[in-house]
Amino acid sequence: MPTFLILAVLVITIILAGLVVARPALTVARGGKVLAFLAFFIFPVFAGLLGLENHMERSKQTSFCLTCHIMGQYGRSLYVDDASYIPAAHFQNGRVPRDQACYTCHTDYTIFGTFSSKLKGLHHIYAQYITKPQQPIKLYHPYNNRECLHCHEGSRSFEQGALHTADAQTMADIKSNKLSCLSSGCHDTIHNVQNLDHAKFWKPEQ
Amino acid sequence: MENQSNTIHSRLRLAGGLIILGLIVQALSLLWNHPLSFIAFTAIGGLLLAIGIVLYLLAVVNMAASKPEDGTGVQAHSRQS
Repeated sequence: MPTFLILAVLVITIILAGLVVARPALTVARGGKVLAFLAFFIFPVFAGLLGLENHMERSKQTSFCLTCHIMGQYGRSLYVDDASYIPAAHFQNGRVPRDQACYTCHTDYTIFGTFSSKLKGLHHIYAQYITKPQQPIKLYHPYNNRECLHCHEGSRSFEQGALHTADAQTMADIKSNKLSCLSSGCHDTIHNVQNLDHAKFWKPEQ
Repeated sequence: MENQSNTIHSRLRLAGGLIILGLIVQALSLLWNHPLSFIAFTAIGGLLLAIGIVLYLLAVVNMAASKPEDGTGVQAHSRQS
């Protein structure tokens, strides 16, 4: 739902609640009780859920992730003019939606993951604003092939790729996450933020 | 009885005030695309909203509980107004 509509619901709820606050004697009548129930319970819960859904959607945006200073270099790495940089190649060629680039490949991260992931998300905010994030930042767990396979599984280039089908076990190991797609010698150039100073960058046409 | 009515009204005012404050925080947080706005939405807005709703529900329960104590069958809160 668009933000302005949620804001409209919030404003209507504030007006209704304000009416009851200004004249609590309204609740003496049955109609007033219904109004109070709507203004103090139904509408706030509804507006709160709409707002939460809106925040969750917005937090999938690339711009949201890049608001943290530490993510700046990772955002920059999406523009490296080198096809061996996996995130950059995906971002520049539209293999992932550009406005949700981070979320598309890190679907189980922080608030989108389990409860413990959500707690880690809070820790990120604590580290960003209270202490200092430790450098270099690292994923909590090795990157899961699932994130690659939810797009690549079934595609011809993946299923019939010469190295993927070199032997039957390789494909089985990739699909069961025993052999990482990011293994050395395979797709092993990821954000590579340490070397960005020497990289050439793609400038999208406006 | 007047005291009881005033108490209920003041609880409703307090509950409503907290709910309005929570809603304002939530509305403001929607205007800002930043991780802190999400925290403000949930931790501050959500908390104020939750406390306000709980206070309101407690006031409703108290309102209902005061009814049987009144032998006339007319709600004490209603008779005042």
